[in-house]
Amino acid sequence: MKDFEYFSASSLQEACSLISQYKDVGKVLAGGQSLITLLRQKLISPTCLIDIKGLKELDYIEFDKKSGLRIGALTTHRAIEKSPLIQEKYNVLSEMEKSVASVQTRNWGTIGGNLCSADPIGDPAPSLIALGAKLKLVSAKGERIVALEEFFTDYFTTIIEPDEILAEIQMPPPAPNTAVEYMKFSTIEAGIKIVSTSVAITVEAGSDVCKDAKIVMSAVAPIPLVTKKAAEMLKGKKLTDDVIEEAAKMAASETDPTSDVHASAEYRKEIVKVLVKRAIKKAFEKAKKA
Amino acid sequence: MNGSKKTINVKVNGESYELSIKPKMTLLQLLRNELGLTGTKQACMDNSCGACTVIVNKMAVKACSVLAMQVNGKEVTSVEGLASRDGKLTPLQEAFLEHSAFQCGFCTPGKLMSSTAMLEEMSDPTEEDVRRDMEGNLCRCTGYVQYLAAIMAVVRQRKEGSK
Amino acid sequence: MNERSVVGKPLPRVDGKAKLTGKAKFTTDVVLPGMLHAKLLRSPLPHAKIRSIDTSKAEKLPGVVAVITGKDTWGIRYGFVDTPNYPAEERPIAEDKVRFIGETVAAVAAIDPDTAEDALDLIEVDYDPLPPVFDPVEAMKDGAPQIHGEITRTTSCAWEDWGVARKSHSYTPVNNVAARVLVTYGDVEKGFAEADYVREDRSRSPGTSHMAMEPHTMVASWDPFEQKLDVWMNHMAYELKRYWLHKTLDIPITKIRIHKTYVGGAFGGKAPCYDYEVICGFLARKLCKPIKIELTREEVFSSCRNSHRFDINIKTGVKKDGTIVAQHVSVIVDAGAYKCSAPVAMFLSHAMCDPCIDRKNVRHEGVAVYTNKNFNFARRGHGAPQMRLAADCQYDQICEDLGLDPVEFLLKNLRKKGDVCPNGDRLDSYGLPEAIKKSAEAIGWKEKRGKQRDKNRGVGIGINGMFSGSGYWPFACTAIVRLNHDGTITLIEGDCEFGQGADTAYSQIAAECLGLSLEDVTLISSDSELCPMNYSNFLSGGLFVGGGAVYNAAMNLREKILRVASEVMRAKPEDIELKNRAAFLKSNPKRSYTFTELMRYHIQKHLGDPLIGYGYKKAVPEIEFYPSLSKGTGRFTDAYGFTASTAEVEVDRETGRVRVLKIVVADDCGFEINTAAIKGQMVSQAVQGMGDALFEEIMDDEGRVLNPNLVDYEVPRAFDIPEIEVIDCSDYEPKGPFGGKEAGECARAAVISAVVNAIYDATGVRVMRIPVTPERMFNALKAQGK
Ligand SMILES: Cc1cc2nc3c(=O)[nH]c(=O)nc-3n(C[C@H](O)[C@H](O)[C@H](O)COP(=O)(O)OP(=O)(O)OC[C@H]3O[C@@H](n4cnc5c(N)ncnc54)[C@H](O)[C@@H]3O)c2cc1C
Ligand code: FES
Ligand code: FES
Repeated sequence: MKDFEYFSASSLQEACSLISQYKDVGKVLAGGQSLITLLRQKLISPTCLIDIKGLKELDYIEFDKKSGLRIGALTTHRAIEKSPLIQEKYNVLSEMEKSVASVQTRNWGTIGGNLCSADPIGDPAPSLIALGAKLKLVSAKGERIVALEEFFTDYFTTIIEPDEILAEIQMPPPAPNTAVEYMKFSTIEAGIKIVSTSVAITVEAGSDVCKDAKIVMSAVAPIPLVTKKAAEMLKGKKLTDDVIEEAAKMAASETDPTSDVHASAEYRKEIVKVLVKRAIKKAFEKAKKA
Repeated sequence: MNGSKKTINVKVNGESYELSIKPKMTLLQLLRNELGLTGTKQACMDNSCGACTVIVNKMAVKACSVLAMQVNGKEVTSVEGLASRDGKLTPLQEAFLEHSAFQCGFCTPGKLMSSTAMLEEMSDPTEEDVRRDMEGNLCRCTGYVQYLAAIMAVVRQRKEGSK
Repeated sequence: MNERSVVGKPLPRVDGKAKLTGKAKFTTDVVLPGMLHAKLLRSPLPHAKIRSIDTSKAEKLPGVVAVITGKDTWGIRYGFVDTPNYPAEERPIAEDKVRFIGETVAAVAAIDPDTAEDALDLIEVDYDPLPPVFDPVEAMKDGAPQIHGEITRTTSCAWEDWGVARKSHSYTPVNNVAARVLVTYGDVEKGFAEADYVREDRSRSPGTSHMAMEPHTMVASWDPFEQKLDVWMNHMAYELKRYWLHKTLDIPITKIRIHKTYVGGAFGGKAPCYDYEVICGFLARKLCKPIKIELTREEVFSSCRNSHRFDINIKTGVKKDGTIVAQHVSVIVDAGAYKCSAPVAMFLSHAMCDPCIDRKNVRHEGVAVYTNKNFNFARRGHGAPQMRLAADCQYDQICEDLGLDPVEFLLKNLRKKGDVCPNGDRLDSYGLPEAIKKSAEAIGWKEKRGKQRDKNRGVGIGINGMFSGSGYWPFACTAIVRLNHDGTITLIEGDCEFGQGADTAYSQIAAECLGLSLEDVTLISSDSELCPMNYSNFLSGGLFVGGGAVYNAAMNLREKILRVASEVMRAKPEDIELKNRAAFLKSNPKRSYTFTELMRYHIQKHLGDPLIGYGYKKAVPEIEFYPSLSKGTGRFTDAYGFTASTAEVEVDRETGRVRVLKIVVADDCGFEINTAAIKGQMVSQAVQGMGDALFEEIMDDEGRVLNPNLVDYEVPRAFDIPEIEVIDCSDYEPKGPFGGKEAGECARAAVISAVVNAIYDATGVRVMRIPVTPERMFNALKAQGK
């Protein structure tokens, strides 16, 4: 590993001013669960790290009936997984978090770091997008709110500016008659996800008809993939097995996966069909009861 | 930039240290190279095996992927800090011994630290909880069965003890 | 002797407290004053001439102490197979050319690992790329790039050193053939002519990683005054490593000391000589400074030995009732850039078959081929898992074709206890029939086989046999047992503790022989300077040969103690028993003398002789010469261990993902010295075998390893473990210590076949290429329209 200068920020404000000062050579360090490996492999060699891990002001999970959920960017994966609040109101996040890396990484790694890593196989982004998440980005110059759906631009790349810090993830209150389901496919249980998906289904109250749908997938495109046509196919329809199967096929056709050691592109598409079908079914069943 | 040394204060296995280190030093290097605590092992260096697991403020973390600077002001426990100084093993260590829960022993410190933290966090885990929480600790020798049995034995012991 | 009170029990391991408290010293934990760290520059090309290497920039980097290249180590050769016919061709650093991606081309010693690594980036190598060849079949074609020229001998080989007088000659591979074997017996043509049914199949087993948790590491320190090299290293038998260091560095063998460290797993992968070991010793001597080389996980995957890739064509003829009458096996082993143990692996793929099943007329031919890839070595089973996959899956299919039951089929074709194999090995213990029956029963064979396809579930069976040490090298061990002042003993033997439990099992054996408890044994092991000669830990000979030597040494001391006791007590030795550090009369236990008293008496009366037991054992006492690898003739081992395994799986037809529900391992490892350790060995192999069957594979693209880390090379983790049942089917082995024999590597092969056969039962689709990944299964199901 190369040497670097190290600053530990004691407030968000200080962090912002440090990052604006060092934006060309510096990197924000949260839990380091991705960053340290990149440094060790010399894939990146910043000359300075601005450590924000200690910022208590960005470590919170708060809920308000009107405005919904707010998660500080430095909240750890484990805190989200174990939060009674999240288990009660956004259980899919807790379930999804159980599949993120290992307990040790979840204990130290942060949700903000995960999103900013923009790894196309990351698990949280699809679930958060399905829940309608927005991000609050702050810098010395001010702050802005962006939809998570618009955050990612390419492999490991986001719209975040070098002097910006992700401060908060915001989600609307849980929608009525809606269920969100996370599903993954990997060779070994804790293995790399060949595909994972989060599906949100809203039904017309007391019926089998789908009012709204959102299907988001990871590992099948450079960024978390939000299907347009497949979700559209479900809307306004009674969700019979045939309808679901057709939508799943459509979802597969919307993906653009690559081949790697874990799976070929063709196989990933096949898995998308199965996984999306299963996730829609499950979300649908749950939505009817929600 | 020169990566000039910085000072940290850290408590390791109950002892307080003030150390001057390069910022790039990992917690694993701090333990093994600076403090000579070689019980914590390194088997992959890329955050994927769990051999380097230690406990920081009650949480299991992988020491190879945490910068030593980040444990400034925190409490670290490594495998050397489990048994008492006069040679009394913890119930988990006893159970590992009794159940032949290890073979080569290279993954064992990490497994002990993960399971110690887990049993602190969960009062009554099921076997499924245990298996899921131990996913981060790879073991090539044992096939896991005997050490999962050892952990479950401690869970049962504790339940019986609390009755 | 007494009722057994120490062996046959699940006693806690003697290395337990050290390993559970972080006190156990592994090589990676060794730190010496003034120690330097070395890193290796690896070739980025699979096949290229080295035009020149410029190390000047690297040498100037502050903190760098030395840079060496092939120029410095030119001419040093070593190899696992280094015989009169096949001279060694491995070298510590590439000289004029590189033969695989990851081959060492230079080494840097520096004040810390980071500096050494930074210096690697400053070394400039000018390569002249040569056309590479990656596929063994392509490599054998005329006109293929030739990976090696004439291989000449630079030093004498072990065969010559040990006086197995034969003249060595050089070897020039033709069409990249590294070695061949041809084993025949019976009349294969006639056998096939008599068969009612003949089937031919192909199987493929990939290269896999041993994935021992401790990455390969060595520390060496040179004493310039004594001209002596002190070494701490990852090994499986120090005699082998010491011999290689002695030959490659030209240091007298007793001027090399290998110190005891615990080894963090091995599974075969730490037995052969490695480039970094020679380099480490070389640098330590050159610089007169301690050197540590700790490989990264990526280096372990891409530059250290993996298991052999095997392509097998198997043709078997059977009678209508399933009796096997002939078998013709052709094996192609992808050796990689250097042959290492490839010639052994393809022979063993035959040798492990022979004690299991009587095939009557056999032709087994093998060819090991050089390719421009990393090269290979034994992994837990060494050739057997690859061969069992071919044989057991074909037997399963033959049964399907002829409407026979695979369990009945196996039972019908087994050898029998007391049989003599074609090479002369006698099966004095043979628990395989019982293992087959019990493993079938435990999985619910009768109720389930062929009856659960509607549920996508199936069961399958596999078997295996494995030697307990063999007559290669001077395969013999010695042990010493010293009686101490307080009546305890000190056991001195050389075996290495890499997890298998040698330290504990040997201590149990010695204690049992002398009526002591485990706590009464102090152990000195695995130190080449303190321990007597020891060649046993590999080839599965640990317990049978090493443990046998311990048994003999302890019994030798027992005899001596009994002799003194009989002198003192004026009783016949057979009327005396030993227990609790004392000798007593069986008829009157009150009449007793403590070991301390007997020892004092003996020293006084017998010229100071303090009572020391001494024992030794040779793997195959009856043979003087090595069996022939290339012809498969000659005695091979004195006892075989056996396993039958059954498995139940469930297949998700939509995705192809296979879930293993249960694995049964029924094992005959002879008498179980430590029952908990044996269970550990069996569970371990069940889980490794499952990984092999379903997902483990080193993948490469044009010789570049694509998954050299634990994220991309997936191995089973805690949540992947199915229900595992271990059944003891031990058959007492008269020649083993207390009746014990091989236990560490037989089962893995049986488990692989069991899982793969269960997949067939669940789906009706035969896949004979492992790993059966979800994608491979999905494609197979699709191809067969199922
Ligand atoms: C072995 C392994 C397995 C994994 N498995 C999974 C998995 O199954 N699923 C999954 O989703 N993820 C997985 N991950 C990724 C893991 O979840 C992330 O590494 C972790 O969440 C990153 O968080 P961190 O706080 O450690 O970020 P860091 O490593 O500190 O930072 C990551 C990147 O984000 C930037 N950054 C961090 N925080 C901010 C911020 N607030 N504002 C701006 N920039 C910021 C950093 O500069 C850096 O570039 C795995 C990682 C490892 C090592
Ligand atoms: S060494 Fe830290 S996770 Fe492997
Ligand atoms: S005991 Fe060897 S890796 Fe776990």
